[in-house]
Amino acid sequence: MIEPSGPGVPGLVRHGAVGPLPRTTGRQIVVLADAGDDRPVDWARVGLHSVADSRDFADGDVPPQTLQDAEATVFSALGIAVVAAEPGQLGLLQTAGAGGRPVLSVSPELVHRVLTGTPRDVGPYAAGYRDGVADLAGRLLAPGAPPATAGPARFEDTVQATWGVQAVRADASAATGRGIRLAVLDTGFDSAHPDFAGRTIVARSFVTGEDAQDGHGHGTHCIGTACGPRTPATGPRYGVAHEAEIYAGKVLGTDGSGTDAGILAGINWAVTSRCPVVSMSLGADVMQAHPPYSAAGRRALRQGSLIIAAAGNNADRRAGDPGFVGAPANSVEIMAVGALDQALEMAYFSARSLPARGGQVDIAAPGWEVYSAWPMPTRYNTISGTSMATPHVAGLAALWAESTGHRGLELWATLVQESVRLLQPSVDAGSGLAVAPHGGVAA
Amino acid sequence: MTHVSVTVDDGHLAALDGVVQGLRARGMQVDQVLDSLGIITGSVAPGAAGGLSAVDGVISVDEQLGVQLPPPDAPVQ
Repeated sequence: MIEPSGPGVPGLVRHGAVGPLPRTTGRQIVVLADAGDDRPVDWARVGLHSVADSRDFADGDVPPQTLQDAEATVFSALGIAVVAAEPGQLGLLQTAGAGGRPVLSVSPELVHRVLTGTPRDVGPYAAGYRDGVADLAGRLLAPGAPPATAGPARFEDTVQATWGVQAVRADASAATGRGIRLAVLDTGFDSAHPDFAGRTIVARSFVTGEDAQDGHGHGTHCIGTACGPRTPATGPRYGVAHEAEIYAGKVLGTDGSGTDAGILAGINWAVTSRCPVVSMSLGADVMQAHPPYSAAGRRALRQGSLIIAAAGNNADRRAGDPGFVGAPANSVEIMAVGALDQALEMAYFSARSLPARGGQVDIAAPGWEVYSAWPMPTRYNTISGTSMATPHVAGLAALWAESTGHRGLELWATLVQESVRLLQPSVDAGSGLAVAPHGGVAA
Repeated sequence: MTHVSVTVDDGHLAALDGVVQGLRARGMQVDQVLDSLGIITGSVAPGAAGGLSAVDGVISVDEQLGVQLPPPDAPVQ
């Protein structure tokens, strides 16, 4: 973007209240419209005639001398040009009347340097560190100081929304999950729950001798978190993707138990049904990745289905036991979800990454005191677990799938890329807190 | 009987029937052929699971895991 403050003077370093401004070269970096548009930019319109194009050089390798000499150098593979001009001069390229390939932005070229700590740089850092330690020591040693670990809760349930819906920013997102099929493989679903009247629900049982009705509660709770309504008739919003199409696969019986056969059958059904998101709040406490789940995860991703699974609840951090990620979440091809509390710290039971490939926690979400749907007549229940964190991420995946069109590994990357980093070890929280897209659906 | 999941390699995904025949010939009772995943589930006599690995196209034979949720009234699930 062109800044109203005018062009930076080459080499100038100004010092202000927020520290030195970045050094600029006096050249501009121009970002061109989508690379699919192959029209040349109308450089002559802004008085530029010496233009080098990376496609004129072998392997797109533009020599430094050309960068020096040409008024504009276009890197075709990137859709970016380096231009020796005043920003005001280039503004004409962004106006509606400009012919040729459109220009998205014009920014001053910055001077970058190797990041080393010189003695001059260390001073402010050391002073800040000293002041921080002194402040912390003062607080901790003051009479009646609270213990350092008991930070104030940062989120809480309100009449509008649960703390989890707020923390993942689902209530601030315009995305709804509309048109996205979201499979929850669990204990089934209470199809009579009034909060889901009128929703598209496909239910299927893979448990011998049982229909898809939820006789436990766990499945209805997870579906509530992933897909619950925006405005329930009573109580706060507890669901993330409130317009997603619900695929309820019963792979765990009323007694809460299941085996690979039913779970794999459920995954096969979700993949065949073209569900971009498959939520699995289940697991076994085994350290080795289980080959069938690795193959299933890989082949699901290849067909556009992302499997998201609970890291496990086998930790007891209160007793110093960090636990480990169990199967199927410890397959590298399956996304593993850890559980956070209202202060965005790890829940005590949330399992830690294993050192083996695939055994890592990939992302985290609310999993402590989670309010959601429960089979009638109880209607609602508040429980905790990585089982409750997982459907938060599944709902968010549906929002991203809707707003970006991404599927499979690309959807995985989007969730991780967009997650909010936390002051928690990466072995516990992975890339941090999964969050919803800001806006709605991309045009 | 031992319940097993048999994972098929990428090269045999389009030819699962042949793998199923091979598994049956070695004594496996085949319950499900999951064509989207390339996984075949079923059961074999105790001690016979290892022999299934010799079937062309099989990359892994694994005894099925069980999953057990806590009861509905447990605070952590």
